[in-house]
Amino acid sequence: MKFPIIKDLSTRRSFLGAATTGASLLFANRLFGAPDAQSTAPSKDLERLGAVALAEGKKQGATYTDIRIARYRNQFSGYRLSPERGGTKTDEVPFVSDQSAFGFGVRVIANGQWGFAASPLVTADEITRITREAIVVAKANSVLQAKPVELAPTKSYVDRWTSNFEKDPFIVPTNEKLELMQSVTSTIKKDPKVFSSFGILWFRSEDKYFASSEGSSIQQFVVQGYPFLQATAVDFQNNISRTRSYSVEPLSAGWEAIPKANLGENAPRIRAEVLEHLAAPPVKPGKKDLVLLPSHLWLTIHESIGHSTELDRALGYEANFAGTSFLTTEKMGNFSFGSELINVFGDRTNEGGLATVKYDDDGVLTTKFPIIEKGIFKHYQTIRDQAHLIGETESRGCCYADSWSSVPFQRMPNVWLAPGPATVKPDDLISGVDDGILIDGDGSFSIDQQRYNFQFGGDAFWEIKGGKKRGMLSRVAYQAKTTDFWHSCDGIASRSYWQQFGAPSDGKGEPEQSNAVSHGCSPSRFRQVNVLLTD
Amino acid sequence: MLTQQDAKNLVDKVIGYSRLPACEVNVQWTEDAFIRFANNGITTSGYRVTQQVGITSITADKRTGNTSVGELSDEALKRGVEAAEALAAISKPDPEAMPALPAQEYPALHNFDTFTASARGDVMIPHVRALIDSASRNQLIAAGYIQRSSNAVAVANKAGLFGYHTYTDTGLSNTMRNQGGTSSGWASQSSASLKDLDGETAARISSEKCLRGVGRKKLDPGKYTVVLEPAAVGDLVGWLGFAFGARDAEQGQSFLSKKGGGTLLGEKLYPEYITLRSDPFDPKMAATPWAQSLLPNEKIAWIDKGVVRNLNYDRFWASKAGKKPTPAASNLVLDGQDHSLDDLIASVDRGLLITRLWYIRVVQPQTWQLTGLSRDGVFLIEKGKITDPVTNFRWNESPSEVLQRTTQLGRGERVTGGETGSQIVPPIVSTDFNFASVSDAV
Repeated sequence: MKFPIIKDLSTRRSFLGAATTGASLLFANRLFGAPDAQSTAPSKDLERLGAVALAEGKKQGATYTDIRIARYRNQFSGYRLSPERGGTKTDEVPFVSDQSAFGFGVRVIANGQWGFAASPLVTADEITRITREAIVVAKANSVLQAKPVELAPTKSYVDRWTSNFEKDPFIVPTNEKLELMQSVTSTIKKDPKVFSSFGILWFRSEDKYFASSEGSSIQQFVVQGYPFLQATAVDFQNNISRTRSYSVEPLSAGWEAIPKANLGENAPRIRAEVLEHLAAPPVKPGKKDLVLLPSHLWLTIHESIGHSTELDRALGYEANFAGTSFLTTEKMGNFSFGSELINVFGDRTNEGGLATVKYDDDGVLTTKFPIIEKGIFKHYQTIRDQAHLIGETESRGCCYADSWSSVPFQRMPNVWLAPGPATVKPDDLISGVDDGILIDGDGSFSIDQQRYNFQFGGDAFWEIKGGKKRGMLSRVAYQAKTTDFWHSCDGIASRSYWQQFGAPSDGKGEPEQSNAVSHGCSPSRFRQVNVLLTD
Repeated sequence: MLTQQDAKNLVDKVIGYSRLPACEVNVQWTEDAFIRFANNGITTSGYRVTQQVGITSITADKRTGNTSVGELSDEALKRGVEAAEALAAISKPDPEAMPALPAQEYPALHNFDTFTASARGDVMIPHVRALIDSASRNQLIAAGYIQRSSNAVAVANKAGLFGYHTYTDTGLSNTMRNQGGTSSGWASQSSASLKDLDGETAARISSEKCLRGVGRKKLDPGKYTVVLEPAAVGDLVGWLGFAFGARDAEQGQSFLSKKGGGTLLGEKLYPEYITLRSDPFDPKMAATPWAQSLLPNEKIAWIDKGVVRNLNYDRFWASKAGKKPTPAASNLVLDGQDHSLDDLIASVDRGLLITRLWYIRVVQPQTWQLTGLSRDGVFLIEKGKITDPVTNFRWNESPSEVLQRTTQLGRGERVTGGETGSQIVPPIVSTDFNFASVSDAV
């Protein structure tokens, strides 16, 4: 899979559950009952099952209990076109896969300690058994607790919510998806100089019921889509291989996002550009100005701002895996993270964002909050059991578990960079550069465990000379220290150019979990960044 | 536990529902328990059961559909098969689909440990306690993770193939940080058996590294001789294993592609003491008796005494190339030499000791240049002795070239680093390791 997996592919995601090919099958015989856009109430069946866990938790002495009963679906369809072995004929390899997962997880606090247990057998008896298991876990572990768990207060909610989409992508016939991907991959491969082409449509849905002993009963349904195209070219004589991708904004949206992605119109462009990339001269390394497009900058935002402002990292809860953060808690409210142009929000409410939901997995109403204001670090991403640790009285709604079998913990909201003044266009940013590089799309990415030192590649690079965009370059990567980089930002294009790219699979936690998150931004300019020539 | 009979009944049911000529079933059942700790206390922990049945249906003209189901009721399984067949029906023929394998003789692997399979908090907590106690004694802050899993896997197809296997897996990892956040140390252990884990030993290593790491010196980036501890070697070798594909090598997209066409198969690229192989039979590894192709898993050398001995051929590419299909380059073992880590350190006049690597990503897929960072303990070696702790570095390196420049190896052990799962690898000495910049991270 050529998607940008942020941390690790080895996430223990369980793709379980019934897989079907159409809405009638998807929703037939399912526990959740038929979807009802008008309904504002959770399914009664789910409420009855949820109540079993809450009652058992109370009976066994838990001071808090919640249950998530969740169904996930992932559908992949696409094509790979590549030459047969030792010949010129093109093999067209289709793939289509429909995977789903279903089960429940119960979380309790007993003896002041969290406990968690999960099972794929969604019955009242199993919910009772698993709730007891969660309490066994909590009580056993309470002998080694540093401090009793303390939850920031939240209101209780009874609600049903669905992400915005016009057309459920799962009811679109799969052959229509395959035909689209065959058509665009064939367009890319039309030039025999293009070695291979690849195209995929990935749709995922998350249908989740949450009930807590504090009175919440919430059902939410989220649909997301990720289209992706890639071309590969090979120069056998010189032993060089290059790719060019078409990254489309992955959004919480339905099938209506696919025509808007203009896959057919962009296929000839990446066909031409992969050949240009193959022939492109290597970059001359050194300090250069960078103009970074949203298809690229999202990942730099993700790694350097998104992860450094997670409170669990700052407090040491991720010290053994994802790491801690250079943004220690005394820096909150006063630390200069970047130039005055930098305004960044944590936001699980914005339209289309991959992390957008109405309630988080603590049952907290999600929010939009400033992370960086005019360059100053303002707020961390928080959840209920952390807020008091920095003197705050409520959670910012950043709790998420990637599966029914995963423990909910602090995950990244959509973290987006506010656009610049209405007058600024990308061309204005380029015209202000004497010697620089324009970067589109993401390439390799790596950052240290405290988020100081990063290195990013890209998908395509164009030289900027004397204020003009010139031809493509190859073998580019840039390396910087997070705060130096954000202080070097001296131009951000207007809202008209703001786009919301993101990742379906951001890894964190042990056992590792995967989170989908968006990072909206406009094209932005950074001065005198250290550019490397890669091998 | 999903027993062999449970698994057989399950796959028979799925195959019984199948109407297309070919159907393949893949069953995974796992029960696991885990404890996570940080700031010298347990944070989250859990117990869970997960299960998954993958179904692949193939028409006579090689149209393929895949589904997976987790609900194991008759109705859910039947729906899963119908969905896979519906997808196959609307798909196009796959020119690379291979005929179903007949029944196979799978080798017996011995990597299931009953004690581990039933272990819960009472067995794992003493290890956590040892780590937290060590942290408290030394005024350090412990974070870490201990887990064990009990797994049952089964494969079957309509042509009569059936395989069943159980294995356990367990691991412990721990990071110690000092109160000022100026030093960190790390230790990790992994095995098929919890009896091989020892919190006391891990605590001693990680605490010692953390205490010794205070007062880090800032050295200039550049090329250094390095002593890479086994966890660091494991991740480099793990990434190298991903790049042994025959298809990419033949098609000009690999570090094993030859300029002008062809591959480097058979060429001596490494010193004669470099042998990298897959060994699914080591009882410490969480391996299965079959490879992804469902052919029996086997030992295979990728680099044999310095020579590129094999490339990874899947069944399709092997059929085109007239080769025998191979398993993927996993369950990797880098053969060692009879030297201790101290011997390796003693052999270095000036260099750096690296505990482990972090956030490794491919910079150039064709050359297999990687980037990443050092983490949790870098120490200067001068005249065969560790002198000062040093700041972390970002590096840009090819794992193949690191092996080419390897001058000495120690004794192998199973490691689980941060990136690529588990391998059995020794510590190594390698010259001219390319550190590109300093990282201030601790």
